Amino acid sequence: MHQNRASNVTIQAHQARVNITWRGHNGDLPDPVTREASLHEILQWVTEAVQHGDVPGIPADMQADFRDFVVDRFAATAARPYHLIQVRPKTPFGVGT
Amino acid sequence: MTQRVVTVLGVGALGSHVVQLLRNLNIHLRCVDFDRVEMKNLASQFHAKKSVGASKVRGLQQVMQFLFDRKIEAIPHRLKPENSAALLQGSALILDCLDNFEARSLIQAHVEESSQPCLHGALAPDGQFGRVIWHEHFLADHEGTQGAATCENGAHLPFIAIVASYMAFSAQTFLEQGRKVGFQVHPGGVVPV
Repeated sequence: MHQNRASNVTIQAHQARVNITWRGHNGDLPDPVTREASLHEILQWVTEAVQHGDVPGIPADMQADFRDFVVDRFAATAARPYHLIQVRPKTPFGVGT
Repeated sequence: MTQRVVTVLGVGALGSHVVQLLRNLNIHLRCVDFDRVEMKNLASQFHAKKSVGASKVRGLQQVMQFLFDRKIEAIPHRLKPENSAALLQGSALILDCLDNFEARSLIQAHVEESSQPCLHGALAPDGQFGRVIWHEHFLADHEGTQGAATCENGAHLPFIAIVASYMAFSAQTFLEQGRKVGFQVHPGGVVPV
């Protein structure tokens, strides 16, 4: 069990913090989700939350659309003692050429 | 004592800044990129106007020598299946700063087989998100929309520099302490992963 100091929410071992980046803004879903949540579930929850302004740090955006976004899952580590699910835009470029 | 080799693949916006940020480490910097410097690159990449038209790695080699008296190895070749093993052989660390799915996949396949440490840097085309991720956790993203804008006018230079700094910091931490730290970077801050 881990207390997320940023949001003052307790994250259980079977849960994950969901961090979202949308149009340069970043925030967490107010409540953790089960770490086994499906891709479809996560994208649906995130879309609804951002559209309705329920993500601290991300202004409400009724046009929010995460269908082309990526969901990364990171297991808990010693430095970050809770599971992390990150919803982010695609990053195809290192702009190497 | 022989210097460890750190191979930087791609010396464009991300890789060119990473190279100059690693200049103080006691390492042999090997830089691989087939591309040439164009005028439009100057807005967002660590290349000099004098290098326009030259190979990016040769141009960077001259800039590093001129500004910092720092030697780097320049390999002006495209990474291909037939040369990847030779180019990456002996690297204590591989830094992937490339810009396409195929080349990244080639690196991943090589690293899977060789077990060499590899750190990937990646940027969203709109300059709103960057990733500095170790091979163990990295999945390369497809380009998605064809012709998506990159940073041709330099608008994202400060953000690119931030991501490059995190990449150089991760590389330094690994080389000096053996620890692998990764980051997801957005304009408002950073999430360690």
